[in-house]
Amino acid sequence: MNRRSWEAWLLLLPALLVLGTFVAWPLVRALLWSFTDANLFAPHNAEWNRGSHYSYLISDPRFRQAFLNTALFALMVVPLQSVIAFFLALWVNRPEPYWRWLRTAFFVPVVVSMPVLAILWTMLYQPLEGDQVGLINSVLLVVGLPAQDWLQNPLLALPAIAAMSVWQGVGFQMMIFLAGLQQLSRDQLEAARIDGANGAQRLWYVIIPSMRNSLLFVWITTTILAFRLFVQPYLMTRGGPQDRTVSIIQYLYETTFLNRDLGLASAGAILFLLLVAVITLVQQRAQREVRS
Amino acid sequence: MKRILGWGLSLLVAWFFLVPLIWMVHASLRPEAEIFRGGMLSIFSIDQLSWSNYADAWRRAQFGRALLNSIIQLVGIIGIGLWINSMAAFAFARMQFAGRDLLFALVLILVILPVEVLIIPLFLTARDLNLMGGYAATMGALIIPFTAKAVNVFFLRQHFLQLPTALEEAARVEGANWFQIYWHIALPSIKPALATVIVLDVLTHWSDFIWPLVVCTREETRTVQISLANLFTQPPIQYGAILACAVMATLPVLILFRWIQRHVVSSELAAGIK
Amino acid sequence: MTSGPVYLWVGGMITILQRLSVLGLITFLSFGCGQVPQTEVLQIWSHQGQEAENRAMREIVAAFNETHAKLGIRATIEFFPDYQYTERLSIAAAAGDMPDVFGVDGPTVAQFVESGLLHPLSDYFSDAELDDFLDTIINQGTIDGVLYTLGAFDSALILYYDRVVFDEVGIESPPFGEAWDWQTFLDACQQLKEHGISPVSLHMNVTADEWFTYAFSPLIWSGEGHLIDTDANQIEGVLNSPANIATLTKWQALFTEGFAARNPMNPNPFGAGETAMDWNGHWMARSHFEAKGHRLGVMPLPKIGDQPAAASGSWSWAIAATTDKTDTAVRWIRWITDPETGIVPIVNAGGAVPSRQSAFEFFPEYEEDPFRLFRFLLESYGRSRPQTPLYPNLTQQFAAAVRDIAQGADVEERLNQAASAVQRLADR
Repeated sequence: MNRRSWEAWLLLLPALLVLGTFVAWPLVRALLWSFTDANLFAPHNAEWNRGSHYSYLISDPRFRQAFLNTALFALMVVPLQSVIAFFLALWVNRPEPYWRWLRTAFFVPVVVSMPVLAILWTMLYQPLEGDQVGLINSVLLVVGLPAQDWLQNPLLALPAIAAMSVWQGVGFQMMIFLAGLQQLSRDQLEAARIDGANGAQRLWYVIIPSMRNSLLFVWITTTILAFRLFVQPYLMTRGGPQDRTVSIIQYLYETTFLNRDLGLASAGAILFLLLVAVITLVQQRAQREVRS
Repeated sequence: MKRILGWGLSLLVAWFFLVPLIWMVHASLRPEAEIFRGGMLSIFSIDQLSWSNYADAWRRAQFGRALLNSIIQLVGIIGIGLWINSMAAFAFARMQFAGRDLLFALVLILVILPVEVLIIPLFLTARDLNLMGGYAATMGALIIPFTAKAVNVFFLRQHFLQLPTALEEAARVEGANWFQIYWHIALPSIKPALATVIVLDVLTHWSDFIWPLVVCTREETRTVQISLANLFTQPPIQYGAILACAVMATLPVLILFRWIQRHVVSSELAAGIK
Repeated sequence: MTSGPVYLWVGGMITILQRLSVLGLITFLSFGCGQVPQTEVLQIWSHQGQEAENRAMREIVAAFNETHAKLGIRATIEFFPDYQYTERLSIAAAAGDMPDVFGVDGPTVAQFVESGLLHPLSDYFSDAELDDFLDTIINQGTIDGVLYTLGAFDSALILYYDRVVFDEVGIESPPFGEAWDWQTFLDACQQLKEHGISPVSLHMNVTADEWFTYAFSPLIWSGEGHLIDTDANQIEGVLNSPANIATLTKWQALFTEGFAARNPMNPNPFGAGETAMDWNGHWMARSHFEAKGHRLGVMPLPKIGDQPAAASGSWSWAIAATTDKTDTAVRWIRWITDPETGIVPIVNAGGAVPSRQSAFEFFPEYEEDPFRLFRFLLESYGRSRPQTPLYPNLTQQFAAAVRDIAQGADVEERLNQAASAVQRLADR
């Protein structure tokens, strides 16, 4: 019907206009720029360079380091966060109001913004200097362990940032698992118990299979979030020590605004997008396989 | 007895989990020289607490202005976004037109695009559209690109799909056009979903960092997170004032906390798992 | 669950939206349309200094506006954080949102010139006028023989010390204008440490990269090394030369011996009496003088090789190539570099060294310590950081390397890494 169709397009128009202008079009531009020598100050008089940015990026030690750091960060955050969130959810999944308060406690860091937390944790990680020390090291000292230079030590900096990020997001994932657990019927669990399954068996054969969807959802969102790492290194470590916390987004930001190399930054962005697309596809494939 | 032990244990866990934030609030009230002294137990000290860090932070970070900007940004994104995303979602859910499924598939692809990656071409696009420079233009750059969101269109569409067709057919018999049906019948019946969208947008955009970092060049346009970051990096570094500013940057979302918590759960369920 | 109020609120929002949607559209369509100025408005951007400096800058602008009101000229000033100032300006330039006049840090002038962002100043100032400026100021603003920036002050870096503490411990300070050699400096540190006093603060907690290049490149030069060979655009083999490795290895000992804090928290430990010496710039002179009075002693930075170790270079003013208000912009630069209207208030607020010979008559304190030493060092040994378009990358990499070396990184390895990173960019 013509009239209907006309009205539908009218309703779609504003959203499509914004998505087209501010998402799709920039994407196309980045793709085009990635094959040129475009400079930030003169993006319009650029010349084609046949993809030499891509080969440069692949051989650039700093980009490789940024990629490695980001991947390591994801490898630390994703499993830790999902496992902790899962067991927290199992633990606080009880009806009494008291447990609702506990859930709330775990959820609080989720609403606090990342810049606030990055700044706060920089102070918590403060090394021992004279009689001044950050909270985390003061706990270590009380327990009798040596204080660490968390954000200054090349081996500890990225794990320290990862630990802070796990703490921030774990409440969110816990909530999702809780919602999944609440769909799990009591009857199933009861049946398993009557069959003589112990706690571990119930977990493995009843709870985890029925939570597949929640698990996969958490896995996908956390992975993508982890790959977007920027605020923590920008504010906590500036990419140091020894480039061990430079992230891909940070590399793109510097390449654009410090080196003004728009072409190279665009190529980096496109590589990054391909990476995210591949991860998403792989995870969706996994999801489909688990489901069937 | 076992129950009390369990509660005690959980209380302890919760305490350790929240200690960073408790420390933040407490340290923000302490004098500069004491912030990193006294270790773990200093959290219980009530000596020398004062609000003076807050006054410094408010002044140095120009916090009033920043708060206003952040609020304008959120209201703009949410207000316009709610309107245009729900219209698109309605069209996708309830109306027939050529190319609908293909178009919807294209929108779905946009869901996975991480905004951070597109910051650079987005920045130049916003510049080409004159969304740079003055105050109004910068606010436009903060708001307009983030009004339409593929993920929100997707989420609202799910909710529109669940509405019964009876009401809508009755209205059409009475001669209502599609816009009227959307506005007077469909929209009011998915209010819980709209609330969820609002909550997620508040959470996302209140902590926006990289985009404001790029577009909010001028003093008068800086948002709360950018002012806080400036205070953290601009000498002289006053940890007390920085912490006070961090607390102030957290209060607004903490006030909305109960509401946010309730709606986050329902959203993720519907969007991700179904 | 009682979620009633939320839905009511959403309902209310929808109602408001229904009323406002048309109005909103109009408002958004009108974004980007500027207003027609009645008077000529000159936009000034400045880096954000210490609070006293910012206040002084605002007062200078106010005085400028008062004097120029009858000409229909009004200036507005905005401040930008030091942290990543170069990126901020790149963003503004790319956004087509440049001010008319802006502050530029000395060593970054070359990159701005290479990008075509600056308007030459040579035509607007006579040779007689320019002769009055310190050589270091003219040098830092000149790229390939063309003058692009002029500043109201220059900087100097010295070693402050507490006379009373030195006397108690039995350390003898050098005569005026003479620097300790490195071993003497280490001995003094050792002596202080043995008396339970923290020897020196090096401010490793500063967020801006520039501090590290500014503060420690004088040591590189003193050890007869360089950061970059600007003529050949060569960094590898220069930044990581054996001389530089030797220099920074000696410097690293300050941390391994516990003479300087790796992770200080206090921004001003010397002022608080926590350390006996302070490796710091002119900007602390007034505050230290107030805190210490006649206990305050000053000397040049210790030499690590045979050359003296001194720094120069500071914030100066440039006109944007994009502005159509060049004449008004020149008026501003005249105003801010005029001894009475510009130099006196800003130098009084920031403690910097006046950029013009004729300005010294307003500052009798430059005849005595600590200020006398600033002028002496600047006029005898002042040396700018290298002028190269690669400077922002160079300083980023050098600062990161210096930070890591202080934390105990292997000096040679770390310098190799920094050198090859910058070299890759140079070769692109």
